[in-house]
Amino acid sequence: MPMPRFRPVKAVQAGPAMTAALTALLWTLFEVFSGPAFAAPAGVTFFTPYTDVAVTPGETITYSIEIKNATGEIRRMKLAAQAPSGWETNLTAGGYKIQEIAVRPNDSETVTFTVDVPLKIDKGTYRVALLADGAPVLPLFVNVTEQGTYQAELSTDQPNMEGTNKSTFNYELKLKNRTPDAQTFALRADAEAGWNVQFTVEGNDVTSVSVDPGGQKTIRVSINPPSRIEAGTYKIPVRAETKNLSAETTLEVVIRGTYGLKLTTPDEVLSTSITAGGERRVKLRVENTGSAPLAKIQLSADTPVGWDVKFDPETIDTLAPNETKDVTATIRADKKAIAGDYVVTMNARTPEAEDSAAFRVTVKTSLLWGVVAVLIIGGVLAGLYALIQRYGRR
Amino acid sequence: MRRSLSVLFRKEVADHLHSWRFNILIALIALTTLASLYTAAQTIRSVVPQADQPLGDIGLFLKLFTTTDGKLPSFVAFVGFLAPLLGLGMAFDAISSERNKGTLVRLLSQPIYRDDVILAKWFAALAVVGVFFLALGFIVMGLGLFVFGIPPTAEEVLRIVFFLLVTAVYVAVWQSLAILFSIRFRQAATSVLAGLSVWLFFSLFYPMIVNLIAPITGRGTVDDVLREIGRHQFLSRLSPVTLYEEATTILLSPDVRALGPFTLEQAIGAIPTPLPFDQSLLLIWPQIAGLVAMSVVLFGLSFVLFMRQDIRGR
Repeated sequence: MPMPRFRPVKAVQAGPAMTAALTALLWTLFEVFSGPAFAAPAGVTFFTPYTDVAVTPGETITYSIEIKNATGEIRRMKLAAQAPSGWETNLTAGGYKIQEIAVRPNDSETVTFTVDVPLKIDKGTYRVALLADGAPVLPLFVNVTEQGTYQAELSTDQPNMEGTNKSTFNYELKLKNRTPDAQTFALRADAEAGWNVQFTVEGNDVTSVSVDPGGQKTIRVSINPPSRIEAGTYKIPVRAETKNLSAETTLEVVIRGTYGLKLTTPDEVLSTSITAGGERRVKLRVENTGSAPLAKIQLSADTPVGWDVKFDPETIDTLAPNETKDVTATIRADKKAIAGDYVVTMNARTPEAEDSAAFRVTVKTSLLWGVVAVLIIGGVLAGLYALIQRYGRR
Repeated sequence: MRRSLSVLFRKEVADHLHSWRFNILIALIALTTLASLYTAAQTIRSVVPQADQPLGDIGLFLKLFTTTDGKLPSFVAFVGFLAPLLGLGMAFDAISSERNKGTLVRLLSQPIYRDDVILAKWFAALAVVGVFFLALGFIVMGLGLFVFGIPPTAEEVLRIVFFLLVTAVYVAVWQSLAILFSIRFRQAATSVLAGLSVWLFFSLFYPMIVNLIAPITGRGTVDDVLREIGRHQFLSRLSPVTLYEEATTILLSPDVRALGPFTLEQAIGAIPTPLPFDQSLLLIWPQIAGLVAMSVVLFGLSFVLFMRQDIRGR
């Protein structure tokens, strides 16, 4: 608003009336010391075409301002920018950052005025102005269309994965830095003991990652569940943190039940000895090594012909994951079994899983005939002794 | 031991050791068996071609006794053949020669009991034979150490010692028989002929006779065949030769698990592992008992015969 503000001063020079002059002086002083004290230079116009722009937080607005000098002499003026606090402004021309500009008579200069809209800003209309010699000469409106933030964002497209307790779960996270500064985020996963969570950025295992202002990084997360885990859904919160920023997302791991069965003995010894025709009790241990409960575990044995194996109990109704149960097997060897080693295979079976344990059973022949033979030899020797006693001493 | 018995025993042992006959016999046995051992040691490498089998498992030292190169019989075969000869040769004239020379009457006129005489003869023969076979066995083990460079396991040593003891008992059977004949027959020639014919009978003709009486036809049901084999085995086992063969087979081949036939049913699920020594011993315990009983019974007979005999000068 270019206005001839010095006219009252001229009136002082022209008019003889002292009161009028005093009034005019006071007015002038008032004009000088209050409000926009320095008026825009007369005969100079400021122009930019887009005076009201809509932007998003973090955007930079570039105004091209034409300054036209319509007077007959060179005009020099100070230039400055007026903007809400926290906004950054810049005046450049001819490749320099400038504070003052001179315009030739009847000529114009172009100044580039940049305004950086901060990231953390409320939605609304803001005023920006260019000041020439301290007076606002070009009011501009900036309409911030979104609520601005100063924060980090952690997100993933696929937060849910399914697998077994042996699987590795690979997630892809995106970490966005919505701040004007480069940030180094510490990466952390709040998994329970036994879980192994590894962050990878650009092929390297990392525990922290730095993200450029306004930029984003892709973080791969591989999760290994504990090998002995029950089927179910597990939530793993993953955090990226700096001193005053924190972003969090939750990954979901769905463990499918696996079936595993192990048959062994409490002391892992798979051999025993037995007398032909005799019995031997063996303690077996059935273990559920899977992650799902097993029902109706049947115990059976592959034996040599004429042998018999009885189990107590013969079936195990249910066995929870990682649980063990002891079973007593009674092996009965055939009477005609020959001395030496035989193989007896014990089986534990369910429709889902099975395991077997091969026992090496050493058959020993009964000592009975050995004893009989010793008795015969003893009898014969006793007979000989009796003979000597009877017929001796002659 | 009574003093007179121990004196007589020592005299008898000295007699054996100084006699040409005994020395020739043991030289014969020692030479033939050592020759067979030498060939066994030469060919032992072909017995162990299975690289996956640990040496200890197959009883390398035991193989030394049973391996043959095809030209010369094995140690066991030689001993089995010559041991009866040794027994017969040592004792066929134990009593009859003394009687014929007239020394028996002179001996009995001393203040000694008559049973001491025959006991001393028997014990001396047993002791000499036992010592001889144990010595032979340990020479073989020493040779084995020299050839293989590895020591035998405790079980192998036990098996070999028992094999040697069983051999001594086997010789004792033939000695007892020879003593019996030397008492029964006055002529030494008759005694030796009788002994040789019994030996020939058992080692050559008896198996044929058993085959004739109880042939194994292999016809009929499994039970029939088993019964046939059972009868055949029972008859065969009346011969000391069979008993000795079975005992040595089991003792020296730990992988043999049964003597008789065994059905496929018994073999299902069995693993071909060597038997532990105690089980092998239990398997042939009846055979050992039989051999011991045979020699004791034969000696008992000769004892009774000798005690009842009228002994006069010529």
